[in-house]
Amino acid sequence: MRKYIYIYKSELMSTFQYVINILFRLINFILFIFIFMNLWNYIYDNPNELINGYSKTQMIWYVIITEIIWGAIEGRKYCRKIVDDVRGGNIAYMINKPYSYIGYAVSGHLGETTIRIIISMVVGFTMGIIFLKSFPALTAPAVIIVFISGILAVLINLLLITFIGLISFIIEDSNPIFWLYSKMILVLGVLFPIEYFPGILAKIMRYSPIYVTCYGPAKLFVDFSYMSSAEILLSQIIYLGIAWGMCYLIYKKGVKKLNVTGG
Amino acid sequence: MSVISVKHLTKTFKIKEKKKGFSGSISAIFKPIYKEVKAVNDISFEVEEGEIIAFIGPNGAGKSTTIKMLTGILYPDSGEINVLGINPTRERKKLAYEIGTVFGQKEQLWMHLTAYDNFKFFGAIYDITEKETEKRIEELSKLFDLEKFINIPVRNLSLGQRIRCEIVASLIHKPKILFLDEPTIGLDPVVKESIRKLIKKMNKEYRTTIFLTSHDISDIEKLCKRVVIINDGKIVMDDSMSNLKYHYMDKKVIEVKLNTKVNFSNTKGINILKEKENRLRIEIDTKQTDLTTVLKLINPENIMDINISNIPLEEIIAQIYRKG
Amino acid sequence: MLQGVKNQLNVTIKTIKYGLMREMINKTSFIMNVIFMILNNASFIIQWIVIYSLKEDVGGYTFNQILLLWAIAASTYGFSHFIFKKAYSLSDLITNGKLDSFLVQPKNVLLACITTDIEVSALGDLLYGYIVLIISGITVSKFILFTFFSITGAIIITDIAVLLGSLSFWIGRSDMIADTGNNLMINFSTYPDGIFKGAARILLLTVIPVGLTAYFPVWIMTKFNFKLTFVIIVITVILTLVTFVIFYRGLRRYSSSNLMISKI
Repeated sequence: MRKYIYIYKSELMSTFQYVINILFRLINFILFIFIFMNLWNYIYDNPNELINGYSKTQMIWYVIITEIIWGAIEGRKYCRKIVDDVRGGNIAYMINKPYSYIGYAVSGHLGETTIRIIISMVVGFTMGIIFLKSFPALTAPAVIIVFISGILAVLINLLLITFIGLISFIIEDSNPIFWLYSKMILVLGVLFPIEYFPGILAKIMRYSPIYVTCYGPAKLFVDFSYMSSAEILLSQIIYLGIAWGMCYLIYKKGVKKLNVTGG
Repeated sequence: MSVISVKHLTKTFKIKEKKKGFSGSISAIFKPIYKEVKAVNDISFEVEEGEIIAFIGPNGAGKSTTIKMLTGILYPDSGEINVLGINPTRERKKLAYEIGTVFGQKEQLWMHLTAYDNFKFFGAIYDITEKETEKRIEELSKLFDLEKFINIPVRNLSLGQRIRCEIVASLIHKPKILFLDEPTIGLDPVVKESIRKLIKKMNKEYRTTIFLTSHDISDIEKLCKRVVIINDGKIVMDDSMSNLKYHYMDKKVIEVKLNTKVNFSNTKGINILKEKENRLRIEIDTKQTDLTTVLKLINPENIMDINISNIPLEEIIAQIYRKG
Repeated sequence: MLQGVKNQLNVTIKTIKYGLMREMINKTSFIMNVIFMILNNASFIIQWIVIYSLKEDVGGYTFNQILLLWAIAASTYGFSHFIFKKAYSLSDLITNGKLDSFLVQPKNVLLACITTDIEVSALGDLLYGYIVLIISGITVSKFILFTFFSITGAIIITDIAVLLGSLSFWIGRSDMIADTGNNLMINFSTYPDGIFKGAARILLLTVIPVGLTAYFPVWIMTKFNFKLTFVIIVITVILTLVTFVIFYRGLRRYSSSNLMISKI
């Protein structure tokens, strides 16, 4: 574990050089929230209206939370890096290093994005409080649960993207698969809660990554209950195991192939 | 007639420095510290038409910076440059038609196209008509033996063939001067040799002036009549190859295997480089002590094996660096 | 002069052609890139179906007009990224000294360096634009206007990418700033201007020229407006001239600067 913490720390340190750039990237985040505030303001005729069970304030908070989790991890860049590692043969050098590639990639990228996630959180919450003039009533344990659920969502996301990146072992370039995945997450997960979709689709989505990476933590934030937290955390832990297993299997298979063809 | 004339050329770079550790990372954001490096420091030289001139020096000596200034990529901080009567700083585009460039580390060819298509592309870049380009390609491919592989995509060529194509591509527009920046870097000896042949041939056929940078001494030894040595941005020597050799020829190195010990302590001009049991390596300054004296001292009867040689050029140049 | 322009055009077209040929060597990944990008864009239709299920008009746009907005945004983006891919990584070219090889050629440096590579997936965006145009109901005049505005739009966003990238001549690495600026335009150009109010809306229609690349074309295609068309043309020309001037200013700095971290 210590080595992963070390990888994480060195990546974190190197990002300090780019703090100014990180701040610039933040503009995209602010913009996104800004557009959705405008959109929901336009769509809700009066502030007390409920659409699919959500008030306007809840809808905007929902988008803020999902965008913090999804936007800050820079999945596109991360996926490209993994694909490059696989295709460029970098991975061949890492096979005989005393750490797992998956652990290396995830902890490294997490280090790169931590600052962004923290800044996104600060900015997202500030924007929410200023423009919505409200904050969901959450008790201290609830805050901790939401936070844990958020971290789990980020980890699951990274593992799933790692998996997509590693598909490059099988097909030439798996970046396009990531695009589709990310659009699915964005349109079905980040922008709207599951309740917005018709019956069967909503049911399917409950078992999809969307539930554990977007809907779960955001729903808990805007509408907390211990019942749903138990359900969400459990699903997240199961998903974490599945995602890790998938990465592990495809990596093992890929390395075997690499050994045969010699990279 | 001199085709390149450089007077008091100077170029300084600023390099960002970062302090160690976490606080260093942070302070670098707000208050970057710069270190000034004089990449080229007041150099002057001339190059005659048809000459092959070598610019040699260790990494970071200022070779590439000089070549970049001569081709108009970089502007000097001060000093004058005149290439074929053109000021590269002011008339880069005009100069571009007259010169050719090959940067060893950078490929300018399209890998997926054949050499032939690449040459045609370069023809278009230099505004040469299709017909003329074709004629030129035919001539060059005959001269440099490209016919066998001219219609194969460049990525399928061997490294040596590829570099040959790189050089030919830079000759499509009949440049008067060819700038070669480390043309043999990273190549194996056989390929190096073929490149050198090519360079020599084109110099002979077209009287193309060749300006070459390298840190490979053998390039220079085999190609150039004149050598400019640059170190730390300064010219430490500008002389003909033969002169360079001559001046350092008065030193010889003797390696002998003996069956007794010899005492040289009373003889001037002898420098013991290595001594191990019965093996001996000495350097002799023949101005002070001639070879015969030394050989007598050793006494031929004791010699089991002997080897007398000149100091290798590499060592000569290393000595010059140290002095500079 | 005329011959010079012709030669320049010849080289530029050849460069783009060869770039395309290079990408087409691996046919599977070429086709996959294009198709996946089309699917990728198509996913946004879901977003708007959901939104329009809540309300009939959003920001003064009907569903059909939103499709048109998406179509023009996609093909503008596609055009620009397909042909001028490197305009979007200009900062990298500048800070890593990669302009050198273009500087020794007697051709336009800006055109040479931004056309040196093409983005395959952008072809998907371009095609997607036309597919959506067909879905939203195509006519000859709409087709012509659409193509015309895709080109002016592509020129405008390329200009802006070059201007933002050129910042690197003065301040060093600016890729993040450039990315942010470029994203900003894309993001806004896919939402109806009517949902924005006050200063934001004015900014969008003026300083951030999303109006020129997305909103105006949709308005014009809905109801032809000569004045607005003229404005788009004039601004495109002026912006392009300014871009060339600024880039060449920067280039002089590139050559004379002593801040380049390039290897000596």
